[in-house]
Amino acid sequence: MNSFMQTIALIELSITSAVVLVLIMQKLTQQEFPLIAKISLILLLGNLFFWPLGLGMELPLAAYIRGVTGDLSIVLTLLLWSSLLPSSKTTPIVFKLAIAIIALGFYPFALGLDMVDPYAWGYGSIAFLIAVLVFAAVCGLANWAKGVWIIAIAIIAWAANWHESANLWDYLLDPFLAIWMLFALFGMLIKRRRAKAQSGYLFRPG
Amino acid sequence: MSRVIALCFLLLAAVIGFLHLDSRPAWAPFAPIAINDPSPVEEVLEPQPVSKSKNTIVPIKPSIPSPIATWLPDTGAASVHAASLIALKDGAVRAFWFAGSREGAADVSIYSAVFDPRAASWSAPTVVIDRVSAETGLSRYIAKLGNPVPSRTADGRLQLFFVTVSIGGWAGSSISSIMSDDEGLTWNKPQRLITSPLMNLSTLVKSPAVQFSDGRLGLPAYHEWIGRFGEFLRIDAGQVIDKRRMSSGRSAIQPLVFVNSPQEGIAFFRQTRSSGQAKQVPVSQTQNAGQSWQLAPDLPIANPNSAVAGLELNNGVRILVLNNIETGRYRLTLLMSDTKSNQWQVLEVLEDDEASPDSNRKEFSYPYLISADGNDAHLVYTWDRKKIRHRYFSGAWLKRANNQLQTVETDPVTKEVQQ
Repeated sequence: MNSFMQTIALIELSITSAVVLVLIMQKLTQQEFPLIAKISLILLLGNLFFWPLGLGMELPLAAYIRGVTGDLSIVLTLLLWSSLLPSSKTTPIVFKLAIAIIALGFYPFALGLDMVDPYAWGYGSIAFLIAVLVFAAVCGLANWAKGVWIIAIAIIAWAANWHESANLWDYLLDPFLAIWMLFALFGMLIKRRRAKAQSGYLFRPG
Repeated sequence: MSRVIALCFLLLAAVIGFLHLDSRPAWAPFAPIAINDPSPVEEVLEPQPVSKSKNTIVPIKPSIPSPIATWLPDTGAASVHAASLIALKDGAVRAFWFAGSREGAADVSIYSAVFDPRAASWSAPTVVIDRVSAETGLSRYIAKLGNPVPSRTADGRLQLFFVTVSIGGWAGSSISSIMSDDEGLTWNKPQRLITSPLMNLSTLVKSPAVQFSDGRLGLPAYHEWIGRFGEFLRIDAGQVIDKRRMSSGRSAIQPLVFVNSPQEGIAFFRQTRSSGQAKQVPVSQTQNAGQSWQLAPDLPIANPNSAVAGLELNNGVRILVLNNIETGRYRLTLLMSDTKSNQWQVLEVLEDDEASPDSNRKEFSYPYLISADGNDAHLVYTWDRKKIRHRYFSGAWLKRANNQLQTVETDPVTKEVQQ
C-alpha cells in the first residue's frame, strides 16, 4: 500500500509539473496549443519527470520536486489539470477571493500564532467537513460545477487515504494554491486599474 | 443539468466523508505506565572483600553497585548526536543515534547498537538508515537525517521515528518512521508523517512517545520554523491521525510528557525564550489525555535552551536529566522527585566542566532516559559532540537515593536555580 501510494504521488506530481510547463509555454508564446499537442507534451514531459534519468541523480525529477513541495492538494492538482481542457472556464473571482482570505486566516494560526490550531480540525471535525460541503454547495449554486466536482473528489480522496496525510486540509489547500489565488487576484486588480485609467484618459473631458 | 450531477456527486462525497469520520477511533485515555518486571527492587549483593581472622568470618555486607558508565561504540564519524534508547524483549537495550562528518551533513546516518546488561558492553554499531535509503523509500529528495526516537507499538513491533530535512536547516524538518519485526535487526520502508500544512515543514521529535489505552501512540513533537512550540501527535501505525498544540509562540520546544493518570499529564519543555525572559523549564498540562493542553507555571529549574530528559519509575519516583544552568551546556545533572512532595532535588552532577575556560568547555547535551525494568534507569547523552555517553543506574541505587533524599534534609533545586 505504501509503495502504491508513493508511486501514485510521483505520477500525480509528474503530470502536474508537465501541466505547469505547458501552461508556462502557452503564456510565453501567447497562444493556446491544440489539445493533441498538449496531451503529447504532457505525456513526454510527464515521463521525463517520472522516470529516473540518471545523470548523477539518485531519484526521478518529480521526487526532487516532491522533496520541496510535498504532496500538492487535490484541489490545486485538479484545477491545474482542468485548466488545459478545451472548454475550461476561468476560476471565478469569488472562489479566488475566498481561498485567499481562508489562507491568510489559516496559515498564521496553523503555524503556531496561538493555541488555536485550525489545521487540527482537518483530522476529525464534523463541523469542518460540513463547512467544506457548504462551501462546495455554494460553488454549485454560483454555477461553478467544476468547483463542486473538485471539492467532492478531494473529500473522497481524503476518505480513501489517497495521500500520506489523514488531514482534510491537505487535500483542499496548499501554499501554492494560496499563492496562485493571491497572485491571480492582484493581477486582476492591476488589470482593472489599468483599464479604468485608460478609459478615464480616453473620456477625460476637454 | 451538469450542476445537478455535480451536486449529486457532492452528496455522495458527503456520505463517504461522514462515514470516514464515523470510522475514526475515539480519543483514548493514557495507558498506565508499562511495567516490564513488577518484582520489588531488592538490594543486589556486590562481592565485597571479605576480611578473615583466624576463627571468625565477617559476613558479606550487602552493598549497592555504583552506576555503570560506558561509551556507545565508535562509528568513526567525527560528529555524533541525539542518542535515544529502547528496552528490548530479552532485557537488552538498543540505542539509536546519528553520526557523520558534522551535524546536518549529507553523510549522516542513523546508527544502532545493543547493550548487553550481563556483559555491560555494547555490540558493534550498524546503520539503520542513511540518507539515500531514506529518500528512495520515501520517494522524495532528502538532504539530511536527524533525531531518532524509538517506540514500541501495541503489537510488539519497534517503530523508529526520525527527522529528515529536504530543504533548509532543521527548521525544514519532517518526521518519518520505520518499523521492525525483529527487535531492530531489520527495518521496513520508511513512511512519512504529515504534521504541517505548509509543505509539511518543521516538525521534529526528541522525546519518547506515551501510549494510549487503545494501543496507539502519543508522540510529543515540536516546530522550529516561524513558531517554536510543542505538539502532541496521535499516531496510528505510520500515520498521524490527530494532533494537538501543547504550547504556542516561540518559547518552548522538545516536550517531554509525564503521565499522571489516565486523563492527566504534564509536559516539560526546553525553553527557547528571548533574552530578558525566565530561563526555566516551561510547563504545559492536560486534563483530558492530551486532547487539550494549558500552559502552567514554569518548573523552577534553570534551562539554557537545552533538551530535558525524564522518566517515571514504578514506585512513582520521577527523575530528570538536564543542564540546570542558564547558559552553556557544560553541566549535566540528575534530579529526582517523588509524587508526594513534587520537589525536585539534585541527586548527582553527572558532568561538570565549569572549571575550564568558557571557550574550551565541553558540551553535555541531548539526554535520553529509559527504564528496562521499571525500576532502573539507562541514560545516554552527547558528550561534547564527539561521543555518546551511557550511564546505568540500578533500581537498588535509585531506591537508596530516593530514601536518602526523603530522610536527609536537602536543599530543593529551587535554591540551585537562584545561585
